[in-house]
Amino acid sequence: MAATVKVMRRPSEGSSSYLRATLKGMAITFKHMINPTKVTLEYPEERPEISPRWRGTHVMETHADGRPKCVACGLCPTVCPANCIRLVGGEDDMGNRYPIVYEIDEFRCIFCGMCQEVCPVEAIHVGVHFENSEYTRERFVYDLDRLMAQDHPSTLLWDPSDPVSE
Amino acid sequence: MSGNGAGDRVTLTIDGRQVSVPPGTTILQAAETVGTRVPHYCYHPGLSSPAQCRLCLVEVEGAPKLSPSCVTAVQEGQVVYTESERAKSMRQGVLEFYLANHPLDCPICDQSGECKLQDYVFAEGRKHGRSREPKRVFGRDDFGGDVLFYGDRCVMCTRCVRFMDEVAQDPLLTVVERGNRSIIDTFFEEGVEGSPYAGNIVDICPVGALVSKDFLHKARAWDLEHTPSVCPGCAQGCNIDLHTRDNAVHRLKPRLNPDVNGHWMCDYGRHRYEWMNRPDRLTEPRTGAPGEQRPVEWTGAIELAVQGLREALERGDGVLAIASPFASNEDLAQLRALVALLGDGEIVYRSPRAEEEIPLPGFERLSRRRDLAPNSGGADRLGMKRVGTDDASGGLEVARDHEGILVVVGDELTDLDEAFGERASCYLYLGSYPTAGAHSADAILPITTFAEQEGSFTNFEGRVQRFWPGLTPAGSSRPAWSVLGLLAASISHDEVAPTGTDQAFERFSRLVEDFIGLDFASIGTRGAKRDPALQGAEGG
Repeated sequence: MAATVKVMRRPSEGSSSYLRATLKGMAITFKHMINPTKVTLEYPEERPEISPRWRGTHVMETHADGRPKCVACGLCPTVCPANCIRLVGGEDDMGNRYPIVYEIDEFRCIFCGMCQEVCPVEAIHVGVHFENSEYTRERFVYDLDRLMAQDHPSTLLWDPSDPVSE
Repeated sequence: MSGNGAGDRVTLTIDGRQVSVPPGTTILQAAETVGTRVPHYCYHPGLSSPAQCRLCLVEVEGAPKLSPSCVTAVQEGQVVYTESERAKSMRQGVLEFYLANHPLDCPICDQSGECKLQDYVFAEGRKHGRSREPKRVFGRDDFGGDVLFYGDRCVMCTRCVRFMDEVAQDPLLTVVERGNRSIIDTFFEEGVEGSPYAGNIVDICPVGALVSKDFLHKARAWDLEHTPSVCPGCAQGCNIDLHTRDNAVHRLKPRLNPDVNGHWMCDYGRHRYEWMNRPDRLTEPRTGAPGEQRPVEWTGAIELAVQGLREALERGDGVLAIASPFASNEDLAQLRALVALLGDGEIVYRSPRAEEEIPLPGFERLSRRRDLAPNSGGADRLGMKRVGTDDASGGLEVARDHEGILVVVGDELTDLDEAFGERASCYLYLGSYPTAGAHSADAILPITTFAEQEGSFTNFEGRVQRFWPGLTPAGSSRPAWSVLGLLAASISHDEVAPTGTDQAFERFSRLVEDFIGLDFASIGTRGAKRDPALQGAEGG
C-alpha cells in the first residue's frame, strides 16, 4: 500500500526578496547596541557575583601560626559520599593529632559540603570559587599545603548570625 | 529449692522475659543470656566486680533501692527491670556525672568509635551538659611499654588496676588521690613495661584513657575490618582478630576463647604483626637458570616443575623437603602427600624457640610458649622433624648439598647463601619472600602468608583452630596447598587437586591419626580438639 504524499508548494512567487526580514533582524541588533539590557558578562574582565553559599573547591583554615586546624579525626573521609578525601593521621612535634597526609580529589568531589558540615574544628571548608583549570588531572588532587594556600573565601553553609541554628 | 522442677536453676523475669540460669549468676550475666546488655564500666567478665561505676543499676521489684546488677545474684522469682523509668533516669544521671570531667575530645581520641562512654551517652545521655564548672585536667602520662595514659578521659572503672592485680598478678598500677581528684598512676618512675601482658589494659579500658602507642592516631576504629584469626606468635595459638585497613594489618586484638586464651593475649604476640605487611614479596612464579629466573604464567611454571619432578623420578632421585611451622595444616599435609608420591623422603622444619615460657598467672591456660611458631604442633603430627637451633637457623647441611629432589615450602632460608640447592636435580622453592636461598631454584612459586589465606593451625595441645584471610594475596601468589595439590595431581593420576581449603583439610584429616574425626566446617571460630575417647575406639 502506497504512502500518502502531500505535495507542498513553495511560497516563492511574489516575495523573492529577504530584505524585509534582514532589516527587521538588524533593527534588533542596533537597538541592543544603543540600549543594552545586558545579559552577557565580559569574562574575564568582568566577574560574576557568586552567592556566599556557593560550594566550590576546598579551603583548609589555619591557626594564626600557620598550622592547619585539622586534627585528623577522620570524620570527613567517613562522611564523604564521593570518597574523595584521603587522610593519614599522625602526631606533630607538639604531640597533637595532625594530618600527615590530607588530600582531596577535586575531580571526584561532588561539592555537597558535608565535609565542612561534619568537621568538629571547622578546618575544612568548601569555598566560594569556580575558576579551576589545570594542565593535568593529577593537579586536581589538592594536598594539605595547597588547601591551606587557597585564598578564596569559605562558604557560608549556614546563616552567619545564627551558626548553631538555635 | 526451685519449685519448677528445673533442678539447679533459678528462674527470674528480666524486662518481662523468663530467664533460667544456674544459681550464683549475676543479674547482668543472666540478662546477657537473653540479649539484654546492661551498660557497665567496672564489670568485666574476666575480672572481679567492685560495683563502683554505678552504671549497671537495675530496678528489682521489692528492693528499696536500685541494685548493681553486676554483683547482685539472681533469686528465684525475682522481677528485674533494666529499662524502667527509674533505672533509665539513674543511668542518665550517672552518665552526666561522668561527663562533668570527661573531655569532649572524641575527634582526637583513638577510642572514638569503640568507646563505651560515647555509645552510652549517645544512646541514653542528655543532649546538653549542665555542668558549668571547669573540668579537671591531668594531661598525658607515659605508662611505659606500649601504654599511654590520658588521665582526663579516665572514668575510674579500675579495670586496669584489677587486671594487673588479679590476672597479671603484677600490681604495677594503683589509684592515687581521692574523690574528684582520684586517678590511676604507676609507682613513681616504674611503669608497666616490665609486664609481658600489660597490653591487655588497653583492650579492657572502656574509654580512651589507656591507648596503644603503636596504634596512636593510626586509624579510626570504624575504618578497620575485623577478621577472625589465630596469633602466629607462639604455639599457644591465641584467638585474635586481625584489624586491617587498606590491605594492611594495623593491630591485633584478642578474641574471646575460654579454652585457649580467655580475653587476653601477650604483648609478644600483639606486637609481632609488621611482617604481615612486608612489601618485599614474591608476586609471580619464576622459572629459569640459577639467578636468571624470569616471570612466567602459573600454568607454565607448574608444567616446568612437573617436568623436572618427573625426570628426577625416572632417575630414581631421593626427595628431601623443608617445611615451615608458619604454614597451615593444609599446606603441610599437602606437602606430605607430594613427598609420599615422590618416594617418601624426609620432611624437616626449623622453628624459633624462646628461652622460657611466659605464663599469665591469673589465667593458667594461657602462656607465651617456648615454641615461637604457630603450627609446630601440626608439623609434628604430620611426621615432620624439627632441625636446627633455637633461632631457627642451621640444620640444613644435608639439604644444602642434597642431590635429588628438593622442595622448600615457606622457610625463608635467611641464613643460607646462593649455593643452597645447587646440586639438587630438581629444586622447587615455594615461599613468600625473595631470598638468596632460592638462587638455584628451578621454579620459584609465590605462596600466600597465613593472613592472606584460609586454613588451620594446630596448637601445642593439639587443638586445631581455623583462621580466615584478612588481606588480599600479594600479586598472583596462591596458598601452598593449592600449588602442591596441582603438582601432585599432575604427577599421579590417582591424585586430584583439592579445590578448597575444606577439601584440603578433609584429605588429611581422614588419614592422619591426630586429626581423625575433625570436621573443617564444625571447627568454627573456637577451634576443636580431637576427642580422646575416639583415639581408643579407632585404635583397632
